[in-house]
Amino acid sequence: MKNTISVFIVTLFFTLPGMALSGNAVNDKDMGLSKTSVFDTPTPEPFKYSDKFPGTSQVLPRAYPDAPPQIPHNIDSFKPVTAKSNMCIGCHNNPSMRGKTVKGMATPMPESHYTDRRHAPDKVTDQLIGARYVCTQCHVPQSDAKELVDNTFDDKK
Amino acid sequence: MDINRRQFIKTGLVAATAANIGLTLTDAAWAEAKTFSKDWRWDKAVCRFCGVGCGIKVATHNKKIVATMADPDAPVNRGLNCIKGYFNGKILYGKDRLTQPLLRMKNGKFDKQGKFAPVSWDRAFDEMEKQLKKTHKELGPSGLAIMGSGQYTIQEGYAAVKLMKAGLRSNNIDPNARHCMASAVAGFIQTFGIDEPSGNYDDIEHTDTMVLWGANMAEMHPILWTRIVDRRKKHDKTRIVNLSTFSNMSSDMADLEIIFKPQTDLAIQNYIAREIVKRDAVNWDFVKKHCVFATGPYDIGYGMRATDKYAYKAEKDTQQKENIKILDKYEAIGQRKKTGESIKQNNRTSAGKHWLIQFEEFKKGVEPYTLDFVAELSKGDPDESLDAYKVKLKQLADWYIESGRKVVSFWTMGFNQHQRGTWVNEQAYMNHLLLGKQAHPGNGAFSLTGQPSACGTAREVGTFSHRLPADMVVANPKHRARAEDIWKLPANTLNPKPGSHITKIMRDLEDGSVKWLWVQVCNPFQGTGNANHWIKAAREKDNFVIVSDAYPGVSTKVADLVLPAAMIFEKWGGYGNAERRTQLWREQVPPPGDARSDVWQMLEFSKRIKIKDVWTQQKLPGLKSAGFVDGQLPDVMAEAKKMGYSPDSTLYEVLFATAEAKKMKYATDPVTKGHDNHTVTSLGEDWFPEKALFEEYAIFGRGHKHDLAHFDVYYRDDVRGLKWPVVNGKETHWRFNEKYDPYCKKGTEYDFYGPALKALPSGNIDKITNKEKTKLTGKAKIFFRPYAAPAEEPDKNYNMWLVTGRVLEHWHSGTMTRRVPELHRAVPNALIYMHAKDAKSRGLKNRDIAWLESRRGKIKVMVDTKGDRSRMPKGSVFVPWFDEAVFINKVTLDTTCPISKQMDFKKCAVKVYKA
Repeated sequence: MKNTISVFIVTLFFTLPGMALSGNAVNDKDMGLSKTSVFDTPTPEPFKYSDKFPGTSQVLPRAYPDAPPQIPHNIDSFKPVTAKSNMCIGCHNNPSMRGKTVKGMATPMPESHYTDRRHAPDKVTDQLIGARYVCTQCHVPQSDAKELVDNTFDDKK
Repeated sequence: MDINRRQFIKTGLVAATAANIGLTLTDAAWAEAKTFSKDWRWDKAVCRFCGVGCGIKVATHNKKIVATMADPDAPVNRGLNCIKGYFNGKILYGKDRLTQPLLRMKNGKFDKQGKFAPVSWDRAFDEMEKQLKKTHKELGPSGLAIMGSGQYTIQEGYAAVKLMKAGLRSNNIDPNARHCMASAVAGFIQTFGIDEPSGNYDDIEHTDTMVLWGANMAEMHPILWTRIVDRRKKHDKTRIVNLSTFSNMSSDMADLEIIFKPQTDLAIQNYIAREIVKRDAVNWDFVKKHCVFATGPYDIGYGMRATDKYAYKAEKDTQQKENIKILDKYEAIGQRKKTGESIKQNNRTSAGKHWLIQFEEFKKGVEPYTLDFVAELSKGDPDESLDAYKVKLKQLADWYIESGRKVVSFWTMGFNQHQRGTWVNEQAYMNHLLLGKQAHPGNGAFSLTGQPSACGTAREVGTFSHRLPADMVVANPKHRARAEDIWKLPANTLNPKPGSHITKIMRDLEDGSVKWLWVQVCNPFQGTGNANHWIKAAREKDNFVIVSDAYPGVSTKVADLVLPAAMIFEKWGGYGNAERRTQLWREQVPPPGDARSDVWQMLEFSKRIKIKDVWTQQKLPGLKSAGFVDGQLPDVMAEAKKMGYSPDSTLYEVLFATAEAKKMKYATDPVTKGHDNHTVTSLGEDWFPEKALFEEYAIFGRGHKHDLAHFDVYYRDDVRGLKWPVVNGKETHWRFNEKYDPYCKKGTEYDFYGPALKALPSGNIDKITNKEKTKLTGKAKIFFRPYAAPAEEPDKNYNMWLVTGRVLEHWHSGTMTRRVPELHRAVPNALIYMHAKDAKSRGLKNRDIAWLESRRGKIKVMVDTKGDRSRMPKGSVFVPWFDEAVFINKVTLDTTCPISKQMDFKKCAVKVYKA
């Protein structure tokens, strides 16, 4: 018993220097992404996606150099991408403009999207590769929802 | 700056990709890209998220991750990630990372009603130890439990199993993976006698037909989906079929979409089997050489509690079906019985038993499953005509049966999270085996997994309540003896009684039979159905709940003690994916603050338990096993002393810091290449725990059809994981096929060599008639399994089906992905997807807030009727489970497959009304 107490005192005063324990104590309902008790029934926050037409929005910042660009414009009428219809490639499939950016023009898909890395990794073609056909598996629209918590990732750009 | 930055982004991206696919770049572009990244260290690693197991490369700078890249050399994904995969680097950096242990305290003492106060690791472990010893004294080993994970690294899972089963002698360790693929496991073991798929992902590039049965691969296995779409575009013969209870992203690329009513996949499978038989399409050459026919009992319950003692009033009518089921019209036909017959569920605790039958009996079983019967029963979209639906079912059968057409069937949670999950898994093999379309390139029933190491850890290591490594089980005395030998334990240290599966551990908390619970690498209080019971049990009953996690979430909120955990790239580890590919990575960056790896947490805590505390005689209620006194685990201290252990030896010394382990020095190990190991530095040791654990674990599988290569091999620059069994340095691409699998007997062509459950009594379609067992060496079983109605179906009050699942942009309970702003903005809340007419008739429109209520609980949720993602048939709603604020598992039902004990998250009855 004496040992337990002394361990506790040591813990309290020495292993956490500078920490005011009572001041730092936190209620469970103040933790996590929804600041509620697990027994509560919160009401979901409203959010909306961009209503800008393609060509009228700014390119969004990339998370880091190789990150897929996010979709800055409204895509309600372009979804879903189906076997028969892919409205995205109507504007973004522009192999002759690869690597170039022209104001007002859709960002052309880069060489990677025309390279079949599984079967012919050395050959850049003019044909969009099947593996890249469903755009929304990598590129997603962004709503106006506020971050639930800050993220301190820094890509050192 | 802006221009430079833009230029870099462009050139950097090109340089990075080009360098890896051998493209030439201009010198200027190279120079620029290199200037930016000269201090970055790149290393190979694995994606943190789903069971696909994509290879990634991680760039670090000043002990932080600065970028990740899809690994162009990884055969799984060839330089492509999905939207989640691209954000692997960012998941570590949510600002509210847990960096200190937190203990509920009042006036400086632990108090279940206290607030969370930061404490030292010592103080945290003091309380854990005190509470463990208190419960151990009161209840014995069965009062303790660990909830583990399919996201455990291989080493974490192995350490947890060893600590729990060898050290504490409790089998109450079970992973969230129970909810993910236990039905797949039971299906494998019952059909083949050994776990895990025969095929691999290259089946996609070899096949003509891909049939998705309850697997929305476009969202849940996105990189496999890119391979499927690519195959579809390249190979004209390719056909994609999507069978689902609602229309989804996978339907968008499908040639054929079949929307069926929940649970009726059982009937559709039998329709196909009946067609195979009727059209004389059985591959008799294959079946006679390699298969037998089998069946089992139907009266097996629904995996609920047998008593209604703990049920809410509203739950009692559903619970009653656990003991007595009154057959509806369709079950009666499908089971050759009478409508309205009351069936006592006599086999609810012997659900897995089965026996051999003759083909003629099998034929009797499938005979009722005509096109007319199955179409009427299974059609899931009220707006579709019966005739149109019949045409689709027939087309499906045609493609399966077409001679020369290769077929792969994929499934995940639609089959596995199913009140008859084991049956429906077995039915997939039934049809592939009948046709001989199994176990060769492009042909096979292929069970996919959800989690990154559901296969590699949960299944292969055996972090289940009944398992030991390499497919061994605690109930088998030979298996225990082998584990005791490898683990250097006295005989009869291991507990022969299977422990509680994860749902039962929740129930044990509620009824007080478990009072000390350690949750690792998962969020089970958000992820388990009927959650109101379990969060209340954790908060209000006399128990001590410890949760190790990287971020606060529902489980940490109901914990008594929170332990801050290191995340994937902050520790050394390994995962095994759904094609048997084992992949290992190095620690890339240090964990923040006092966060520590789970391996460290277990090893450090194990120093506090001495063998005299746990290896003496222990009570174990309910234990009955040959060689054991009823209700007792024996004292093994005398033999322990003979083996050189002292009563004061700690579990750390006996289980982990063994002589063999200590030989593996970290500092001089060739694979470290300058990478840190915070498990080593925090332990204050010089040996390499992750290597020692891996190498010891690998002993179990070598020579036992689960061979892994040596630890170092996986770190070679030219290796991107290896598919086990790795025999003579070579991985195995297709199992059970003599051409590819060194374990097949020569001259067999196919050898289904799994050893489990390979001696059976025989009988007719309804019962065992000859108890004498027949040996089935090398054979696979073709099971007949009937249709069984769900335990709960929509009625006048709860008038809709609820289906739950994931979305592409979020992983599981969202604790990682919702802290990545890009992913959060992409899908901020969990929505309730419903048919516009169903919404309208309830006075709801798109984006309104609705109440969603079942017998078990209710939540508020925002309505989506747009139909550009999940398109619901009338009468069904879908809600994903990633959002802790839309706590959907308060609404879901805790039925399980009675054989596999996996929970069914895909069907229960709800009502929806305006909030």
